[in-house]
Order: sequence, then C-alpha cells, then structure tokens
Amino acid sequence: MASRRFLPSGFLILAALAVSGAAAAVDRDTAQLELTQAVTAVQTAERDDAARYAPADLDEAHSMLGSAQRAADGRSWDDTALFAERAKVAGDLASARSRQHRAESATAEIERSVDSLRHEIGGAP
Amino acid sequence: MKSSKTLCALATGATLFLAACATVPPGPPPDVVRLQSDLDRLHSDPRIANNAGPELANADAAVDVLARNARVLDARAYTQGVYIADKLVGIAEATALARYAEQRGSELGIEREHLLARSDSHTTTIVTTTQAPTAVVRSDITPPAPVVRETIRDDGVVVVPRERAELVAMQRQMPGVESRLDARGLIVHLDNYSFEPGRAELTPTAEQSLDGVARVLATDGDAGITVEALGADGLATARAAAVRDYLDARGVDGARIASRTVGYREGLARNDRRVDIVIQGDYR
Repeated sequence: MASRRFLPSGFLILAALAVSGAAAAVDRDTAQLELTQAVTAVQTAERDDAARYAPADLDEAHSMLGSAQRAADGRSWDDTALFAERAKVAGDLASARSRQHRAESATAEIERSVDSLRHEIGGAP
Repeated sequence: MKSSKTLCALATGATLFLAACATVPPGPPPDVVRLQSDLDRLHSDPRIANNAGPELANADAAVDVLARNARVLDARAYTQGVYIADKLVGIAEATALARYAEQRGSELGIEREHLLARSDSHTTTIVTTTQAPTAVVRSDITPPAPVVRETIRDDGVVVVPRERAELVAMQRQMPGVESRLDARGLIVHLDNYSFEPGRAELTPTAEQSLDGVARVLATDGDAGITVEALGADGLATARAAAVRDYLDARGVDGARIASRTVGYREGLARNDRRVDIVIQGDYR
C-alpha cells in the first residue's frame, strides 16, 4: 500500500472521482499544471535523445501533448488534463526506453572489448 | 390491475437485471488481465525484479487500482487508467533493464581494466594504506616503476609518501571506476565506450563513473585536475569539455579543472579516443 504514494496524482484523482460518481470536472489551474508537467516530460525525453532511441514513444508523447494544447486553447480543461497526463507518461516512457537503449549499446561495446581482450590473453604464448 | 402491472414491471426489471449480470463475464476485463500478466512477467524476470525501483511499485499500484475499480469506472476513466497503467508498466521494464545494463557495463569495465593490466604485466595489488605520514603498499607481483618515488623495503613492502597515499585512498573511494596510479598521479580512465560513437555525449555508464569521481573530488579541494582527451581534433576537445562540464555540474569547481588534448603517440591505436582525468595531490 505504501507504494501507492508513487502513483501519478492525476490518475488517482480521476479514478477517485469516477468511483465516487462525482463529475470529473478539472479546473483551469489543475489542467495547466498537468500541461506544464507534460511539456517538461516531453522536453526531457528530447534531451535524452529519444528521437534517436525511442522515436515511436516520443511521437506518441508529442501527439498527446498537441491534443492537450488544442484542448487548452478550447478551454476544455477536462480534456486538457486527460491528454496532458497521457503526454507525460508517454514522455517518461520515451526517456526510459532511450536510457535503456543507450545503456545496452554501451554495455554491448564493452562486452565486445572484454571478449577481445580475453581472446588476446588466452591466445598469448 | 394496478398491482399486476407493478408485478409485471418488477419481473421485467428482475429479468433484465439477471440478463445483464449473465452478460458480464466474471473476473477483471481483458485489458487488466493483460496488464497483470505483464507485471507477473516483470516480477519473474530477475534482471527486472532485482533492479526494480519505485517505477515497478508505481505500475503495481496503478494496475491494482484499475483491477479493483474496473467495473465501476466510467468508460473515459477506465480507458485513461488502462493507458496510464500500460505506460507505467513499460517505464518499469525499461528503467530496470537500463539499470541492469548499466550495472553490467560497470562490472565489465572493471574486468576490462584487470585484463588490460594483465596484458601489460603491470598488476600491482594494494593491500594496506594511509598511515600518515607514510603509507604502506604491498606489491604482490612486481614493484612499481621507480618514477613513482616509493622506496621498497627488503620484505617487499613499498613505502610511499603521505600525499601519494592520499591518492591511493582517493582511488579506494571510487569503486567501479576504472583508474590506476602512475607517476603523474591518479588516472581515471574513460575509454571510447564512455561516449556515444563519434560524439562528445557521455554514456550513462560514464556518467555513473563520473558521479563517483565528482563525489571524491568535491570533498578534496586541493587536488589538481587535468582532463586529457586523446586525439588533437574537435572531437577530443569536445569530449574533454564534456567531462569538465559534467564534473563542474556535480560540484567540482570548473576553475580547478584544466583540459587539453593529446596527440597520438607511438603504440596507440588511431581509433583510441579515450579521455583520462589526471588527479594530482600535493605529491609531485
């Protein structure tokens, strides 16, 4: 249960509102906050070179962010929050996959280098 | 008449209710079952389970909330929940696998350093150290090269000056970092694989090593630091600057850090684009 504190707040709020039967009305400030967090996540993914290592995930994040920004332009705060939340997790996933790809590539290169050294040492007279 | 209509309406309602119940399959919806299955797979993979951080706890909690509320969520909230949970599962998997690869890369880096040392017949094992004003270092295989200014006792123990011992102590505070001691000081070694191919961007493994170096250097304000990049061209300059900037961002004053490029010498491979961090104590 303790792990639940790590949950994205938006998802918990949305789930709680839906379960309680209350209208899931999101105010402007909440929607803008979600949007800001989404922009940050997507920018972080770009800095993490996701365009190179996780292009599909980054494209999805951009698409969701675009939908959130259009919803914000239309003052539809519910949709803004919904798409922003999606953009944020899609951006986070792009960053994570980019990190995974870079780490695995670097490790594979070191592994090749170690194999080569082992071969040299093993083959030495 | 009125009561028979009421009875009829009740019967119809009950029938519709029972029919509705009959059409709802037992258990969680397929999306939730899939997500639970994905989580089971992550938990049973030792590479992921052993490197799971808060990301896996996030995914567990999200799927748990979804599973418990799937039948009462409206369609919009349910779809959103599935989307978010799906991404959180992906984040947990990718992050854990990245950690696993980084850890393995670090271990392989150490093994490679040992193999390089073996191939050069320069292996020296340090077994005791730092008792000011002198430190004692035992050479198990061969004494260090004379340029390092140690004195070798008859029993094979090498006595080194205190400043030199400080570098030895510093080296010990950098577990997992490829380094060696030579006449110039403590040399931290970042090889080709510490950078993205053909670029000056540090790999996560290299950043991890530099974090350890920065922690030590940030607490020792006296040590001189020189970043040396092999290959006198723009890439070498950029890589040296990237290392200096990274250390500076992690609390090591950039003004302390000199950087330079080093041209190729005989015996060095042309594709060797390593960067060395030379750390000098007061010992010269």
